[in-house]
Amino acid sequence: MTRQSRKLRSPEASAFYIAGILLLGIVVAAFIVSLFWTPYAPDATDASSKLLAPCAEHPFGTDNFGRDVLSRVMAASKYTIFISAAGVAIALVLGTVSGIPAGYFGGFADRSIMLLGNSIMCFPGILLALVAVAVFGPSVANVIWALGLVFAPTFARVCRVGTMEIKELDYITHARVMGVKPARIMALHIFPNLVSQLLPATVIGLANMTLFESGMSYLGLGVQPPDASFGKMLSDAQAYIRTAPWLIVFPALMLVFYILGLYFISEGLRVSLSKGGK
Amino acid sequence: MQSKAGYLLGKFIELVLTLFVVSLLVFAAFSIIPGDAARVMLGPDATDAQVQLLRSQMGLDKPLVVRYFSWIAGVFTFNPGTSYAYNMGVGELIAQRLPVTLGMSAIAMIMVILISYPLAVLSSRKPGRLGDQVCSVIGHVLFAIPPYVASLLLILLAGSVFKLMTVGTYVSPRENFISYIGCLLLPSFAIALPKIAMSFKFLRSSIIEQNSKDYVRTSKSHGLSDLKILVRHVLPNSNVSSITIISIILSDILGGSLIVEQVFNLPGLGRLLLSAISRRDFPLLSGIVFYLALITVLLYFISDIASSLADPRIRLK
Repeated sequence: MTRQSRKLRSPEASAFYIAGILLLGIVVAAFIVSLFWTPYAPDATDASSKLLAPCAEHPFGTDNFGRDVLSRVMAASKYTIFISAAGVAIALVLGTVSGIPAGYFGGFADRSIMLLGNSIMCFPGILLALVAVAVFGPSVANVIWALGLVFAPTFARVCRVGTMEIKELDYITHARVMGVKPARIMALHIFPNLVSQLLPATVIGLANMTLFESGMSYLGLGVQPPDASFGKMLSDAQAYIRTAPWLIVFPALMLVFYILGLYFISEGLRVSLSKGGK
Repeated sequence: MQSKAGYLLGKFIELVLTLFVVSLLVFAAFSIIPGDAARVMLGPDATDAQVQLLRSQMGLDKPLVVRYFSWIAGVFTFNPGTSYAYNMGVGELIAQRLPVTLGMSAIAMIMVILISYPLAVLSSRKPGRLGDQVCSVIGHVLFAIPPYVASLLLILLAGSVFKLMTVGTYVSPRENFISYIGCLLLPSFAIALPKIAMSFKFLRSSIIEQNSKDYVRTSKSHGLSDLKILVRHVLPNSNVSSITIISIILSDILGGSLIVEQVFNLPGLGRLLLSAISRRDFPLLSGIVFYLALITVLLYFISDIASSLADPRIRLK
């Protein structure tokens, strides 16, 4: 019976998984290879080969300084992956640490934490992160903690709602009656049961954080030159949009592959979790 | 059980509290600037006398609490200080730029509704059909394209394939209203694309869910036409969730317009915000940030009230 139902739910979810992992794999592979080898140095300028269209030596072409676009795209994937992972890690920690106690204790603590979270979510888009960067200066570290803060309320909400459901279950009441301390209940009995809800939120969070980070880099307030990032490459390429469209197309493709890959994986998780629940 | 008045009062208190925390966040962000705000704004070459003068002009020599209340009073009388870089009132500067940002957001929202509703209704008629699946896949892809990347791709298309639109020239609505709408169409479409996908997805699943309910089957057995069931029963019931989605989409559109303005060289709030950041014009920056957050807070408040009127069951939650 269980085997049959597992087989029944697999096709749609696994189509999403396969598409997602393929797309994400392209970007992750570029990142891993770039750690050891890039065709050219990402920052090496070459006055004799400016704005070359894609050819055998430069498969993705070259930019206005004669830098190899393939090498730069590979180097840029590093920042995209690193910033989204580090930012989501911060958001995840802040969100769990505030969301679980809010759901567990309720009352005043819950109201104040949720009020703070809702207030943070009232700043549309990248606004709050832009403020942080304006005040503390643009750098990768500032972008990471600012985006981590902006995304924390999303995770706090997931944790809070999940905790409110779980804490009504018998085994939690039992633990409380036995005198287990609240901190221990939350860490050992509630948190592990939230993982299945936090997983899709984390994958979506990675994608959304990439959207925000690349937007900030596009505005010149994220990753700073000469380091390559997809957003900055796209903003530099805008001046050559008519003459050298390859400068736009390749970074845009890599960026969309990364985000789309993550969306597909989260969609696969959603499909398999929702069907599994029935 | 909660009464209607009690619910409204509770929501109103929540609105005031949220605004209070939002204002504290904005104020705190610009009060904890590392070092002296006046010195940061003037740059490293300023003399001590200049810094001292700016400090007293901005009221930085007064205690924090006094500064907070005078700032808040200024914000709600639409006069939150003077811009340091432009030497103009912050309220005046924002009012100048507002037509671009609000116009673009409004056009984008209209596009979202006009495109996503018909598609969702068509798609949900026979879920799983080829057309439905194609729409869903395109929706996923559109959802993953950041608005500014979509703008670049649209400029590329408009320039090379259609050769008809002049990108990057802004016409004020007082000069020529038609051209004003025309120059905002492409940027609005770029912002709207991912949101069309989002609205389509929610609406489609909401309609499919309603279609499987008992009341739809009963209406069908009573002989109502599909169109009547859709317009009278299914759409109003799906609307409750779409009120919330629309308020989220509107806030996202507002946030997205900040970046897209930069791509199309439009003189809206986004460009003002960026110039305030690069010139370290903190009075202007805090004004823009607070007003944008204020719009979002009010949007969420209105959407909460609207969905509780549309579906009184929400008040019980």
